[in-house]
Amino acid sequence: MKRREFLAHTGAGLVALSPSFRFLRGWGSAAPWLMIPMDDAQAEHLKAYGVTYRLLERGGRAEWLLNYRNGSFLLPSDSVTERDAALAGVTVEPMEDSQVVQIRGQIQQGNMDAVPLEKAPKVAVYAPPNAPPWDDAVTMALNYAGIKFEKVWDTEVLGSKLKLYDWLHLHHEDFTGQYSKFFLNYAGSAWLVDMVERNRAIARSLGYPTVPAEKRAVAVAIAQYVERGGFLFAMCTATETLDLALAADGVDIAAAYADGTPMDPDASARMHWNEALAFHNAQLELSPTVPVYSDIDGHQVNSPDRRQPLGSFTLFNFSAKIDPVATMLVQNHRQVIPDFYGLTTSFTRKTLKPSITVLADEPGAPWVKYIHGEHGQGTWTFFGGHDPEDPQHQIGDPATDLSLHPHSPGYRLILNNVLFPAAKKKELKT
Amino acid sequence: MIVVRFSLRSLLLLLLASFGLWDAGQAQQESMSRAFELERRGNYAAAAEAYRMILASRPGDAAALLGLERALLPISRTPQILPQVRAALAASPSNPAIYAVALRAWSAAEEPDSMRAVAEQWARIAPGDESPYREWGAAALSRRDRGGAREAYTLGRERLGRGDALAGEMAQLAVADSDFATALREWLPAVRRLPGYRVTAVATLAQAPQDIRPELLRDLDRENDFTARRLKAELQIRWGDPISGIRTLEPALPSDRSKAIEALRGLLDQLRSQRSRDALLAQGRVLEAIAARTPDVQGARLRLEAAQAYSAAGDRDAARRMLAGLADDSSAPGSVSSGAAMTLIGVLIDEGKLDEANRRLASVRATLSAEDFADLQRRIVLGWVRAGDLARADSALAGDSTVEALALAGKIRLYRGDIPGAIERLKAAGPFAGDRADATHRTMLLALLQPIEVDSLPQLGEAMLLLEQGDSARAASGLEKVAAELPPEKGGAELRLLAGRLLAAGGKSGDAERLFRAAAVEGAGAAAPAAELALAQLLLDRGRQNEAVAQLEHLILTYPESSLVPQARRTLDQARGAVPKT
Repeated sequence: MKRREFLAHTGAGLVALSPSFRFLRGWGSAAPWLMIPMDDAQAEHLKAYGVTYRLLERGGRAEWLLNYRNGSFLLPSDSVTERDAALAGVTVEPMEDSQVVQIRGQIQQGNMDAVPLEKAPKVAVYAPPNAPPWDDAVTMALNYAGIKFEKVWDTEVLGSKLKLYDWLHLHHEDFTGQYSKFFLNYAGSAWLVDMVERNRAIARSLGYPTVPAEKRAVAVAIAQYVERGGFLFAMCTATETLDLALAADGVDIAAAYADGTPMDPDASARMHWNEALAFHNAQLELSPTVPVYSDIDGHQVNSPDRRQPLGSFTLFNFSAKIDPVATMLVQNHRQVIPDFYGLTTSFTRKTLKPSITVLADEPGAPWVKYIHGEHGQGTWTFFGGHDPEDPQHQIGDPATDLSLHPHSPGYRLILNNVLFPAAKKKELKT
Repeated sequence: MIVVRFSLRSLLLLLLASFGLWDAGQAQQESMSRAFELERRGNYAAAAEAYRMILASRPGDAAALLGLERALLPISRTPQILPQVRAALAASPSNPAIYAVALRAWSAAEEPDSMRAVAEQWARIAPGDESPYREWGAAALSRRDRGGAREAYTLGRERLGRGDALAGEMAQLAVADSDFATALREWLPAVRRLPGYRVTAVATLAQAPQDIRPELLRDLDRENDFTARRLKAELQIRWGDPISGIRTLEPALPSDRSKAIEALRGLLDQLRSQRSRDALLAQGRVLEAIAARTPDVQGARLRLEAAQAYSAAGDRDAARRMLAGLADDSSAPGSVSSGAAMTLIGVLIDEGKLDEANRRLASVRATLSAEDFADLQRRIVLGWVRAGDLARADSALAGDSTVEALALAGKIRLYRGDIPGAIERLKAAGPFAGDRADATHRTMLLALLQPIEVDSLPQLGEAMLLLEQGDSARAASGLEKVAAELPPEKGGAELRLLAGRLLAAGGKSGDAERLFRAAAVEGAGAAAPAAELALAQLLLDRGRQNEAVAQLEHLILTYPESSLVPQARRTLDQARGAVPKT
């Protein structure tokens, strides 16, 4: 469901899941409801999202109980869901009507809300065709939770295929077309040679003179997708480079190795920040050998003399009844989460546009971690870092096995974003 | 008087000046101590300020400049050292330490032209020295500027007029570029000049991909000196061909005894981390070669070690050759002769010469510790068990009351078909006998036997003895026959599961599947989910993904309380591609 439809539905509130939805009940538990607790009683936090998603996929409805037991889900009891939860190892608690009424009472009185979840969003992940499945935190989370997704790349994005999807994820693509600025430091590495060849070939096939020009066109198409009501979730370097590419309208921000001409030395001053989603007034890195794009990233992991150590980030509390979107995005059983590096790890406060919502930051540090905003009729969410359970991720590291991290609070934030477009809610204030 | 007065005044002035100098020296010392203490406490900003104060009065103080560099690094302000660096170079233009700091500072400030200028200036005052170019290259590398580093080393080599100048640095650059052929060409002269480089050379060249290794070895063959032979031998070991490694080195060993031993010891160090049969054989050969170059008593110990390595590798002839005379050598130290005797007895046991081993053991009993004696005796007992001579094994164990003996006695009872007797002894041995694998094996045996309510099952004993003897095909067949006589919940399912596992391991997947399915029946207790998991794994191995998924789902939903459910979920995740395969 696009955000415009999402906003169009008003007054759904708590009535969305009346016992009339109990048609799905079968031979399983005798109780009419299933509670999926998301506090420490939950044995499989990540797969809980998958169980809820698959119920929506089957045409069922659920409720997301914001701030109730750390963002629990209330589902009508049916045999398929019970079986699904049992297979996934997800903790469920059968509930009688009277217990649900009690919970609703509690929700009314506290900083909580019940958001109906109506339709499984159609998910697309932007990744090259041969990208390994284990090199992207979102792909890993979706695979682990059992949420279906399709891969799209430049051909699909520029071929107007994004309108087929409700939710789009970007991870570590470099939309400035500079191959993550690894070109000089990893020259000769097989993976880099492959990446360069693949990108040049697709740019040629789509009729663009250079990779940076083609990637900027992709970035613009993605921004248009959001403007028309799409949900965008980006992590790692896709966050920073998407905005840089958008703002570089007519400005050469790519090094000579990428487009044959050196970067404009006055690029920082000539950027069109009004075209960017989240950032403004950033200073661009001029050296082609320093694998850093700008001062948007606070941690600068690949610049030894500028690299900042990792701390922890804290999720903000929002009013569930007034700011349900922000509240949904921060549902978690942990408020403070250890930080993790990425090519872009964090976002400096000084480069954030005033209109954005900060969802998590490192208190006292000049950067934030997790941000959200609107663009046209859609929304975007940026989450810094590469892999929440591999804080020092290096190229060639073994893949993260999420069955070893079933309670990962960092991965929960990713999955909050996946379910967020499924929500039907009255007018949003965020 | 004037002269005297002048002298007194001079003396007074001299004394005052001396005190002043002493005071200044002491103050400087204290300033350095204070700066160092601030640095030690992690107050880098204050430490940097303290070092700056010192440098303000003594700009050429290399220790203070180095301190300032150290203090600025953790607060990411290295480029701020530049004013002090410029002053230090002006004040002390011949101090190499200052040039090194200057190079790093200009590197941090991303001023490659200044780096080059400083290196050139340093090279002018130290002609013939590699340091300016080495430090210049290192500073460039710290910025990941491999091109800059290469330029520095190449220029240094040209200026110094030596083909082997900065060869180690060039080699490491080549390794970073994955250009292993060039790396080898550079490492050779580097190691010839500085033998200490050898360990790094081997470690970096060992990373070469499989397909280019033969070419690298051929390149080494074209060189005639010992350095090349030694590098080749060590690389062969690193690349998993230890026998070729020792064959390469042995004929090239120098006549100088200590140099030869040093090279052999280097090889031994590489081999110690490998446990393959070839590595053990190569270890034996290296130890034998060292023993041949070592005086008597020490040589005897080395021969014993060589024998132990040969024995562990299964080369009993070589072990015997090493032990010849050693076990009975009265001149050899006691620990050597008893060690030799033990090794020889071990060789005899492995050869199945149990009577001879038993006689030897009796004859050396006085020289062995009680623990070593009991250990060897149990090995002989196990030899008899494997030979099927259970009566002799039983009687030999009679006087042994250790937990290890209890564990062995439990097995003997099992092989006799005495189920309660076996359970009693295996339980009594508990987790205490042998290593963890032994303890796990005993637990597995107990799980197998406990559901069986029949007191005597000689056929089961025979099947398990066949398994002990390594005949798993006949053991599986015997187990299946016994299982047919037992209800599933009374041991039938457990025995089918074990038989299925043996057949699956032997590649008979069809028969294994049949047995797993027969074991995975309702009422079979813990054997049922275990059989389902084994069946699912077998199906996955055979590429029957969908059937495996259905089987795993059945297991999870049917036996939610089974301890195997987490493993089943993990296997299910892997089968569905939800987690990476490990």
